[in-house]
Amino acid sequence: MIFDRPSSIELLKAVNHFLDNKIKSEVPAHLAFKLRIVENVLNIVIREIELGQELSEDVIKDLKELIELDTANIDDLASLIKEEKINIEDESLKNLLVKLSKNKIAVDNPKYSTFKKLVE
Amino acid sequence: MTEDLGNILKEKLANTSIEGEIVNLEPLTGGASKEIWKFEVNANGKSDRYILRRGSGVEGPLAIKTSDEAKIQKTVRKLGAQVPEIIAVSSLDEELGDAYIMKFVDGESIARKILRDEEYKNTLPKLAFECGQSIAKIHQADINEFPFLPSKTVFEQINDLYQTYVSFNQPSPVFEYTHLWLKKQNFGEINDALVHGDFRLGNIIVDKDGLKSVIDWELAHIGNPLQDLGWICGNSWRFGNTDKVVGGFGDLADLLKGYNSVSNSQVDENMVKAWQVFGTFRWGVICLIQASAHLTGSVNSVEKAAIGRRVSETEIDIVDLLFLGGK
Repeated sequence: MIFDRPSSIELLKAVNHFLDNKIKSEVPAHLAFKLRIVENVLNIVIREIELGQELSEDVIKDLKELIELDTANIDDLASLIKEEKINIEDESLKNLLVKLSKNKIAVDNPKYSTFKKLVE
Repeated sequence: MTEDLGNILKEKLANTSIEGEIVNLEPLTGGASKEIWKFEVNANGKSDRYILRRGSGVEGPLAIKTSDEAKIQKTVRKLGAQVPEIIAVSSLDEELGDAYIMKFVDGESIARKILRDEEYKNTLPKLAFECGQSIAKIHQADINEFPFLPSKTVFEQINDLYQTYVSFNQPSPVFEYTHLWLKKQNFGEINDALVHGDFRLGNIIVDKDGLKSVIDWELAHIGNPLQDLGWICGNSWRFGNTDKVVGGFGDLADLLKGYNSVSNSQVDENMVKAWQVFGTFRWGVICLIQASAHLTGSVNSVEKAAIGRRVSETEIDIVDLLFLGGK
């Protein structure tokens, strides 16, 4: 990357800090609720930049092993299930769907109760 | 904007027996799809509180018109169900738009407050039983009273939800798996009923004595009534209290005890799991619908955009229910 610091993550964190510390106390209740959503959105973006590639590759690696192909993506897996071209009772498939779901929620909402329950 | 709305409300209320000065008109934190306002009418030294609920007038893939919600509330209220009294209904061609005005009900609807505040600590242990009773009362309404409501079998609903998901062209392996699984389930042979469609914390008003009122009827329809029991048992509506299967506050046995104490149908715990998976899939597709409104540019809303990233909550709940022994 040719860009200077702050990095994209550092910039987003600065914005979130500003919203949390300077704006939150200034807005009425119905906007404070929306502000929390805005902060959550920024946190999703931060986590995706930090973890997204590794979490995606982790799933794709297992997917390639499952279907014994060198290239594969999530859309391919959805099609194989839809057309029942894969044994849907296969434990490896179930494990892959669990991993896919865990890796997605790790970015979208790592505080989500089911994720916390499953990783503890 | 608030002043204009105040004048429009005053005009609308002039057709009822309610006259007076409209004060303290303020927006409330509501759902992502409706405007909700609180206001007071001052007359003869006395002040009465009301709620305005206002929709876009457009029926969504699942949601009914706001004015039709008011019709349901009026009908079920006559049958003794706990719903706020409707004061006035407005149709899309009126200045107020697709909307209704109802009496304000004292109490709390915000889930996290109900689950955490000291005030409700004696309410929570009996709330699952009361919700069961309340749901059963709704299901006793005569379906012929609601010719304007869509009527769908569960398999028609599954297909509709699936086709809606497909239309967004965002393939999900978990949803594909769920679709195959749902098509093979037995959802129980039971007579069609009025289904609230979104009965959970957030859409009920509670006070320190218990359940006061059922609101937000926009997902109402005619169908298999067990849907309402599975819906409130989805993890999406436990607000972090995963161990409490019913709405984050109660146990399934208590919900069904309440339901079976009122209903002619006797429901057992085994009948609920398929409906939990169905409900979770349904909420996932609703998240997709909400996000799509933003993505297609029909509205620019950070709330709706954010909901798109809640689909993964439903996916992990489904794999937990199907593969990992989740309750």
